[in-house]
Amino acid sequence: MQVKVVIGTIAFMLTMIILGYAALREPERLEHFSAASEGRSIETGAKLYYDNCATCHGVDGKAQECYDAAGNSISCQGLPLNSYFLVCGDTPARLEQTLFEGTKVQFIERTVSAGRNGTAMIAWSERYGGPMRDDQVKNVAAYVLNFANEEFCAEEPISFNWPDAYEDLLTLETEDFVAAPGDPENGAAVYTSFACNSCHGNVDEAGSNQIGPWLGDIAEVGATRVEGQTASQYVYHSILYPNNFIAPDCATGPCVGPPSAMVQDLAFRMSTNPQDMIDLLAYLVGE
Amino acid sequence: MATFFEQVSEMGVKQAIITKADDVVERLTAGMNISDIRSALRGDEPRRPNPRLRPHADSFWFHIRPSFYHTEVTHIYPTFRLGWLSTFMFVWETITGIILMVFYTPSPLVAYDNMWNILSNVPLGQLMRNMHRLGAEVMVLVVALHMLRTFITGSYKKPRQFTWATGVILLTLTALLSFSGYLLPWDQLAYWALTVFLSGAEAAPAPAEFNANVLLILQGAPSLGAGGLLRWYLFHVLLLPLITAIFFFVHYYKVVLYGISLPPGREEIGEDTAKRVPKNERTYFTPDILTNELMWTALTTLFLVAGALWFWDAPLEHHADPIVTPLHVVAPWYLSWSQGWLKLADKTIVIGFIPLLIVMFLVMPYVEVGKSRRYADRRVGLTVASLFFAFMLISNWMGTPEFRVASSPELEVAQEIMPQEGANVLLGVPYEYLDTGLYVPGEEIPDNPYLTRALEEFEAAMQNHSCVLNGNPDMPRQGIWDDCRILDGERYGNGFGDNAMPDPYATLRITVEQANMKRLTLHFEVPDPNNPGELLVDSGDSIYAFRHEGSFYEEECRFLNKDC
Ligand code: HEM
Repeated sequence: MQVKVVIGTIAFMLTMIILGYAALREPERLEHFSAASEGRSIETGAKLYYDNCATCHGVDGKAQECYDAAGNSISCQGLPLNSYFLVCGDTPARLEQTLFEGTKVQFIERTVSAGRNGTAMIAWSERYGGPMRDDQVKNVAAYVLNFANEEFCAEEPISFNWPDAYEDLLTLETEDFVAAPGDPENGAAVYTSFACNSCHGNVDEAGSNQIGPWLGDIAEVGATRVEGQTASQYVYHSILYPNNFIAPDCATGPCVGPPSAMVQDLAFRMSTNPQDMIDLLAYLVGE
Repeated sequence: MATFFEQVSEMGVKQAIITKADDVVERLTAGMNISDIRSALRGDEPRRPNPRLRPHADSFWFHIRPSFYHTEVTHIYPTFRLGWLSTFMFVWETITGIILMVFYTPSPLVAYDNMWNILSNVPLGQLMRNMHRLGAEVMVLVVALHMLRTFITGSYKKPRQFTWATGVILLTLTALLSFSGYLLPWDQLAYWALTVFLSGAEAAPAPAEFNANVLLILQGAPSLGAGGLLRWYLFHVLLLPLITAIFFFVHYYKVVLYGISLPPGREEIGEDTAKRVPKNERTYFTPDILTNELMWTALTTLFLVAGALWFWDAPLEHHADPIVTPLHVVAPWYLSWSQGWLKLADKTIVIGFIPLLIVMFLVMPYVEVGKSRRYADRRVGLTVASLFFAFMLISNWMGTPEFRVASSPELEVAQEIMPQEGANVLLGVPYEYLDTGLYVPGEEIPDNPYLTRALEEFEAAMQNHSCVLNGNPDMPRQGIWDDCRILDGERYGNGFGDNAMPDPYATLRITVEQANMKRLTLHFEVPDPNNPGELLVDSGDSIYAFRHEGSFYEEECRFLNKDC
């Protein structure tokens, strides 16, 4: 009798002590599980990314190395996601450029869910006829935003200060860059290495364009687009500011926009070697 | 009766308060005042008339309990406290379940997020979840053992046949309760276990149209989705507990009505003396049984809390995905026997046999009417029961993943060390020990015990699924592999089975995926012995997993029910 009371009391007190101990370590445990919850969401997102997104946005989200289902190297149709201007800061440049109001998480979830009109980016969410559930959209977005780490976002990547007038670029002479005459041969290489051909097609073959306008005749047509702009000026501006003028002759009718389906950060990516711009224009327009 | 103020003026404040307190306690206990309680706890003889019997007449909770037991049935044998424990577990599940309900919404859109919220945002949420889930499994075990004991002591015999029959229903309900809760986390484990279970309905021995309608009712739509989750949630928190409570009270009423049966040897054959208890063999509910039950309540709570905190962990896999079938769908252990049976017989037969078995159990005491409860007189019955018990254990073993239909050997190796779901040896390596590089099975990594251990497991898994045919110069330590048995020119066997890789080459590659995430890639190459230069298997980069810095898999590896 007494023994039972004693055992019961001890057991009860031990239980209380254990619960107290559990309560004390709760803050730390909750923190661990919050991290685990996020980490696993990113892992799942990474899997989804490689299963669905990497064919266009490339290995590591850089839009540089893309493979089709059979493992053959193909040109990347998508924008780089591993990009300072998409993931860094509270309001990355890409949000401002597309006039998006909201957070970057919302921006990415929205773009993944609803797609981008006129591009190869389809609506991925089940809600809009795509294959992904809400939780999957969230996971992919978590993966993309995980490119933003302290080191990567520490400073804005070098970006070339493009002069507004094309003539000024041709004669530019600064400490880091001295303009040379355009080299059409390198321009042709630039045309494919930046994957212009994946949308604009082969310049030697009218009608080979998939999405954007065919550029084989841009030397003539370009001069007629915007009043006061020569063909080179027009092409140069279209690369710097893709949304300013929307061309009337995309692959399947008038182009849509703004924003344009044209790759938005091409000028930024050419910043590492501005001579590429001059060579590209020499190739396309031939001046 | 004098009012409190009159009493104060009559006998002073202190005495009045004591009298009042006594009065309140007596009302609450429906008959015992403070000194009665103290004397009961001390174990003194009660005063006359015995105040400890009054609650059994006046209080609801005491009136459903008998006022005394036969001393013979208050020891561990013959009940082993299992019926009491079953009741305790039911109450335990109700309390922990109600707490979890607060944080759960039965919708595929949020159910899985809710689980992570309980784990990462609700104070003591993980403990609560572990206690509920551990409790569910313990309850199935306890109820089954209770059934086993009432069979062994022959307690199902006249007049307790109906008690047994309600018990059979209670066991069925307990298993259903446990299993209906299985779906609620809406993870892969839950989704596919239930999908497989429900697919049984289609194979039932009844007209196809009938089966299709049963299936439709059970999953709410042609496939398991929002409607199905809501239904199983309602089964779990409403319908099944309600029916269980009803049957519990019927069951318990019968137990009180007939009294707990004495140990078989204590009575004349054919007699039932449980209710005729001589004065000197009575153990009164207050205080002996009551304190005993309180002690067991405290002890069981202690075990369950400690178990849920330190030894056992409720699993949570990836979000349910109707498109991705896991490599091995596993039933919970208490239903494993049914998966085992599926390997022995046709599905329709198995599905038809289960209700038949339940009916056989229900009517068993009405058919088995041997008078004696003594063990020596029940050799046939006890032998049949032991054989059945052994059969269930073997069936259960056959239903576990160890006894399974194998896929291809390289996938089996991957499944052993880096399955799609659950904690595992590779992901269990702490993040800071996942040094990038290319490793072969069994390699020893200096100053890295975790990775070394993972590679040991890799080697063990390879040993299970590899054999030596001509030897592979790229593979160190292949000496421990068996020699190949050539089966039909195409397939090869080793000492573990008939599906081994001849002279395989395998690696683990760890690369950086993002600044805080690594990729673990398992690569397998098996040369084709019949076409030199060709590969029989080349897994390329297709078998991989990601490991984020914060994912915290190593924590899961500490528990008894997770092996890594
Ligand atoms: C939720 C499930 C169950 C609960 C809560 C429960 C509860 C109880 C309790 C409290 C007793 C009192 C005696 C003791 O502790 O052994 C009892 C007795 C009994 N139970 Fe159960 N039980 C359950 C399931 C079962 C099952 C599955 C069976 C058998 C098929 C069964 C058959 C019996 C029989 C025959 C007795 C009378 C034992 C005797 O008089 O010696 N019960 N039950």
